[in-house]
Amino acid sequence: MTARDVARVGLVVAAFVTLQQTLVLDLRIGGVHPDIMVLLPIVAGIVGGPARGASMGFGSGLVADLFLPTPFGLSALVGCLIGFGVGAATLPLDRTAPWLPPFAALAGSALYEVIYAVLGSVLGQPQMLHVGVAQIVLVVSVVNAFLALPALRAVAWSLRDVSTEGVPTSAVSSGAPR
Amino acid sequence: MAKSRRSRRPRTTLLLLVLASVTIITLDARGGFHRITSGVKSVAADAFAPVRSGVDGIIQPVGSFLAGSVHYGAVRQQNQKLQQEIDQLKLQERSAADAVQAMKQLSALLNVPFIGNLQTVPTEVTNYGTSNFAATIDIGVGRSEGVHLGMPVIGAGGLVGQVVQANHGSSTVRLITDGQSAVGATFGTPPGSLAVINGEGAGKPLDADLVPTNTTFTVGQQFVTSPIPGDVYPAGIPVASVVSFKTGTTASQESVVLKPTADLAHLRYVSVVLWGPSS
Repeated sequence: MTARDVARVGLVVAAFVTLQQTLVLDLRIGGVHPDIMVLLPIVAGIVGGPARGASMGFGSGLVADLFLPTPFGLSALVGCLIGFGVGAATLPLDRTAPWLPPFAALAGSALYEVIYAVLGSVLGQPQMLHVGVAQIVLVVSVVNAFLALPALRAVAWSLRDVSTEGVPTSAVSSGAPR
Repeated sequence: MAKSRRSRRPRTTLLLLVLASVTIITLDARGGFHRITSGVKSVAADAFAPVRSGVDGIIQPVGSFLAGSVHYGAVRQQNQKLQQEIDQLKLQERSAADAVQAMKQLSALLNVPFIGNLQTVPTEVTNYGTSNFAATIDIGVGRSEGVHLGMPVIGAGGLVGQVVQANHGSSTVRLITDGQSAVGATFGTPPGSLAVINGEGAGKPLDADLVPTNTTFTVGQQFVTSPIPGDVYPAGIPVASVVSFKTGTTASQESVVLKPTADLAHLRYVSVVLWGPSS
């Protein structure tokens, strides 16, 4: 990755964290706010494959952890697992299919929140399993499914010159067939 | 051979990142490194504060519009109810209702007899929790106003929580409803019996530990912070009031359901008590 690639990825992460900490935090649905930071490793996994998904999950997770009262590093851990998982699961699929990003965002976000709550509980915060996890899963995954395509465009732009596994990012970002 | 090495690379990347994450989590759980991560969080919060307020100013109207769209049904119902109230009461100052509510909270904050002579810093609530998994609020005062880690925070009615992150110009407060919160309290005729009030999550009732079986309460009876020396809160601050209680047949303690005396769901103004256990 060149300095320009790093700057582009940094810009996208900064834009997401700014949106999360301003607009998104005010959007409460049943007391639960959406979490668009979860989208980054998911769409990076689709665009760039398992390794890029894991790296994006770790980096964006550490940034998210700066603003969270939960254990520092937890979002990074879950983010890299989900990014890798989505990347690996979508490798054999047609990653230019329009249904894939929303579906991956729905399933990936749900899995992310469940793993986050379970690991948080294991790490000495048992209340994380008793705060209405089902409601959090529902709100975060449904909102992320709607936002998956614009997020995919943004991440594809940031990774456009970076070597990826399986599919050129230009094909993903333009929606062109392989 | 080359293909096998290529297919192993993502797994190696994942392994390294998982190891790095686990190391960070483990080190953060230890005192020394936690001070570093807490410092980094504080720097990030201070650096981000102007961005947040700037962006808030620009996109707040958009956020309000979207929030209004999401809650359209509820908003419409509320509007109809308000309209009826207007017709009935013929009030002209409907738009002042919000200001009156804020005024009430501010007035209540100026008159908090339970604090005695302790010094307080009043402030506005700037954010209602950055995580779905923790009950916290962000407030607009920090180290520059004398606020430090562990200081109690009160609102109209009683205890709100404790400062868990003090930045330069802002702080994060863990509410007493958070699952990590435990408040030492007393109830009954002074000196009273001791209990521990535990949080169960945002919006959920509190629960009291260590209450002996067959203790009788009256609904609405108050629990206040305990006078034990070295406790994390000054004595005598109202914490919660009894909603219900019962003793199970095989229970070793009374089961008591409580609600916070401060209205944590509609906090707009709070005060930080400049107090530490050594005070």
